[in-house]
Amino acid sequence: MTDWDPSKPILEIDNLSISFFTRLREIPAVMDFSCKVMAGESMGLVGESGCGKSTVALAVMRDLGKNGRIVAGSIKFKGRDLTHMGDEELRHIRGSEIAMIYQEPMASLNPAMKIGAQLAEVPMIHRGMAKTEAWQLARQIVADVRLPDPDRILNAYPHQLSGGQQQRIVIAMALMSKPALLILDEPTTALDVTVEAGIVDLVKDLGEKYGTSMLFISHNLGLILDVCDRLCVMYSGEAVETGNVVEVFDKMRHPYTQALFRSIPLPGADKNARPLVSIPGNFPLPHERPPGCNFGPRCDYFQSGRCDAVEVPMYDVPDDDRHATRCLKWQEIDWDAPMKAKVTKPKTPIGRVVLKMDDLQKYYSISGGAFGGGTKKVVKANESLSFEAREGETLAIVGESGCGKSTFAKVLMGMETATSGSIMLFDENVQSTPIQKRNTDTVSSVQMVFQNPFDTLNPSMNVGRQIIRALEIFKQGASDQERSDRMLQLLDLVKLPRAFAERMPRQLSGGQKQRVGIARAFAGGAKVVVADEPVSALDVSVQAAVTDLLMDIQRENKTTLLFISHDLSIVRYLSDRVMVMYLGHVVEMGTTDQVFQPPYHPYTEALLSAVPVADTKVIRKRIVLEGDIPSAVNPPPGCPFQTRCRWKSQVLPAGLCDREMPPVRVLEGKHQIKCHLPDDVLAQMEPVIKIAAE
Amino acid sequence: METELPWGPIFARMLVQFLPVWIALIVTFTLSIVYRRRLGLYGKLFDSPVGMIGFGLVMFWVFTAIFADLIITHDPLAQLSGLKNAVPGSALKDTRGDTLYPYYLLGGDSLARDVFSRMVMGARRVLSIAPAATLFAFMVGITLGLPAGYLGGKLDTILSFIANLVLAFPVILLFYLLVTPEIRVTGIPIALAAVLFLFPIIFLTILWNSRYFTNPPQRNLYVGATLVIGLWAYSGLAFNADPSGEILSAISGRNVRDVFSMDPNLLNVFVSVVFVNAPTVFRIVRGIVMDLKARDYVAAGQTRGEGPWYIMLWEILPNARGPLIVDFCLRIGYTTILLGTLGFFGLGVSPESPDWGSTINSGRKLLTLFPHPAVVPALALMSLVLGLNLLADGLREESLKD
Repeated sequence: MTDWDPSKPILEIDNLSISFFTRLREIPAVMDFSCKVMAGESMGLVGESGCGKSTVALAVMRDLGKNGRIVAGSIKFKGRDLTHMGDEELRHIRGSEIAMIYQEPMASLNPAMKIGAQLAEVPMIHRGMAKTEAWQLARQIVADVRLPDPDRILNAYPHQLSGGQQQRIVIAMALMSKPALLILDEPTTALDVTVEAGIVDLVKDLGEKYGTSMLFISHNLGLILDVCDRLCVMYSGEAVETGNVVEVFDKMRHPYTQALFRSIPLPGADKNARPLVSIPGNFPLPHERPPGCNFGPRCDYFQSGRCDAVEVPMYDVPDDDRHATRCLKWQEIDWDAPMKAKVTKPKTPIGRVVLKMDDLQKYYSISGGAFGGGTKKVVKANESLSFEAREGETLAIVGESGCGKSTFAKVLMGMETATSGSIMLFDENVQSTPIQKRNTDTVSSVQMVFQNPFDTLNPSMNVGRQIIRALEIFKQGASDQERSDRMLQLLDLVKLPRAFAERMPRQLSGGQKQRVGIARAFAGGAKVVVADEPVSALDVSVQAAVTDLLMDIQRENKTTLLFISHDLSIVRYLSDRVMVMYLGHVVEMGTTDQVFQPPYHPYTEALLSAVPVADTKVIRKRIVLEGDIPSAVNPPPGCPFQTRCRWKSQVLPAGLCDREMPPVRVLEGKHQIKCHLPDDVLAQMEPVIKIAAE
Repeated sequence: METELPWGPIFARMLVQFLPVWIALIVTFTLSIVYRRRLGLYGKLFDSPVGMIGFGLVMFWVFTAIFADLIITHDPLAQLSGLKNAVPGSALKDTRGDTLYPYYLLGGDSLARDVFSRMVMGARRVLSIAPAATLFAFMVGITLGLPAGYLGGKLDTILSFIANLVLAFPVILLFYLLVTPEIRVTGIPIALAAVLFLFPIIFLTILWNSRYFTNPPQRNLYVGATLVIGLWAYSGLAFNADPSGEILSAISGRNVRDVFSMDPNLLNVFVSVVFVNAPTVFRIVRGIVMDLKARDYVAAGQTRGEGPWYIMLWEILPNARGPLIVDFCLRIGYTTILLGTLGFFGLGVSPESPDWGSTINSGRKLLTLFPHPAVVPALALMSLVLGLNLLADGLREESLKD
């Protein structure tokens, strides 16, 4: 260790190739991958699922499992080659010099051990530290990851902490041995955006404080911009572009990077005037990669006979900071050319009111004791929900986990009945009609698109059969033949090949499954569709295509879309109106412009500032919320948001927020805000997102 | 012909006797290995050595049971003079003019019957009860476990409590109670059979109805067929009142056997085995359902207004098949052992029956002098159960792999 020179790279990966060996064939997962991480530098690895970014991380840890093998190249950590290291030596390095943080915090912590014991274990094993000393260190690090009350946390078990706190503990554990390199594999994907913002800030500060180098893996370009100095874009097992973050974002030199940026909703994108451009085609399977450039078949600049002739090497981009691209034509393409103007689509006319909720409440009562005794507690999942949605309109419902948006969907669908209030669906009161008692027309006209594409289809039934079943239930078609024809038309509608009817769900990609889910929802000619985070589990390039599809179907059928999401970028892109929910309350509601411009509700403001934006020209005000979302079982008195609100001190008289629920105030243009803040304070609010002048 | 055969020729002769089994095994394995990529989980089994060995052992006994009539060398009930407790390979004194096989390959038992033939016929007895009893236990467990897990609430509490009650009672004692003549007089076994045998019919009726209620003609066909065949079998198996025998006899004028009937002794054993296995299956199914019911495809079914039984039987059950198939294999093994234990205690089966449990029991008395009458069926029982366990292991291993 002493012979390592800090001016040399900490991690140097050279022409690394990794393959997985299955019964049938060798599957190359990573080919010819090179990158360098200098001391104190943070390197972002970005790409869609299946591009091999996690495989690279696992290879650095030498944890590829039984059937994964490094077939070529080297990984040098502080000058020592990890690929030829023995198990004993690796054990010394893992956890002490290289630490890894995974996506799922609960899975990384031992549920049967106290936090303190788990943390203290690290220096006790690696450095032979005494127990008391190790606990001392643990306490200090827990304070470093900004957890309140470290002593209580050290004596807690993992399940007693929230997801955000758990992830902070995992980070603390990684830092216990002061590693030289920290690998973070999608560390915030499982967390809510406001919690994510806190973790991202923490990781950045700790990197600076401890001088740790980082390998940050994410699919979220905005996050990479926030955290990293350099990045490496991966596509289908290869690094396609690498360089300084700002240079790559502003002067990309690879068609894939360009396509990726065009497919994510940045401020300024608009579903009608400037629709997103999705990347055509599908990600190639690892054993079916095309000859030559892997991105060739999906590339706008593809030139046959050239791009598909030879394997493409990395070319250095001169004048830039170690910027390189894997594109033969990088010098010929006019990178600043504006996007080919896509057809602008007409705006969907907004019609009559189809859905009207009035003062809807949904309470659950849960018993306190283990045997049904004890005091009954009431969970107020939805509190006085009032809004209307019109034909052809997209209403976005925004909020983090636990805000009551799923409960609201359940009540609307009839899986639960409302505690009080009314739901008018096409001039019919449905608030207390469970789904079994609704007639087929009502059921088929309100349908849902689910979040998780891997869960939305029954894995043991083929695609066609699942759609036909929906048609049977909705009493569509008179004979099996008619239903089968209608099913094929539905596949056309969602732009899937008809041959997919025979496929099993496991043979489909995430985006394709989501399309089948949409086809199934529209089987009975749905008029109101609740889309519960329909694209959040999909890759960015696929997200654009699926959102586009939803918009197209909406235009054609004049569907009312209730779009539940926590991703404000996509909400701004596609919704007409936005409703922000927090702990069962609607805290703000208005048109998209009203909600995304000041005056904000303090929660909306924090939410807007928490969403990472992948645009170097956007200047964001950082507002990091303290603490976690309170539990709905035990909500704070007064305003639900008062525990985390940064404006609370400006409300007069002091303590009003702790005592009283704020009234709904209607500002100009029917913009509703549930807040005690006086008008002049609201009027002085500054926009969170500013686009810098070019 | 006084000399005994040494072990070499004994094994050689046994190999020859098992010829139909070898042929069947070779055909099965060749076909399966050739087409394994198209056979789903069953095909994947042939990628796992453990699974293949297990499957081989199980199929060996299955084919033995099927071809038992071709394999046996003597009538399993025939007693031949001078061969009482004969050692393996003993030659027959009187081959009745070469009509009989000249050797007792694995010796004779205390009643001078051929151990080899009894073991082969025993396979048929064991394999005709254990899988069927396990299947019935699964029908009962699934039909009750699905609603308990899916609907939860009071129903779940009550059913789980009953399951726990049954499981809390010592199994052997329960068997003794169920098969003693005094209890049989009270009619409890018949009543139990009447309840338990109803479940497969209920299961299939709900299965068809929930899927095809949108298309009444098809529904009526399936449900009708299930009810006719089901109730016919039900009357025969549970009450020994199958009308077909009498009707056919009356028509043809000859004495025709009933299509569905069960020996009262066998019925007792069968009912007891189903009764003690069903609660465990119930608990497994209930657990899996509680896990699977949170999936989005279940929610999708609910939002399009599917009934609870459709969701349970067509959305949840097919996706629970992996663990259930594995448990099914293991459970056949337990049931085989259970039947062996019952036979060993002399419960339920007739004394001359060649089933392995009773044979071990009758051989036990002279175990120190003549071990072979007990050891042979014991080895057979062990290899079958081992095969089933290995098969279950292989299936579990392969179903986890992609």
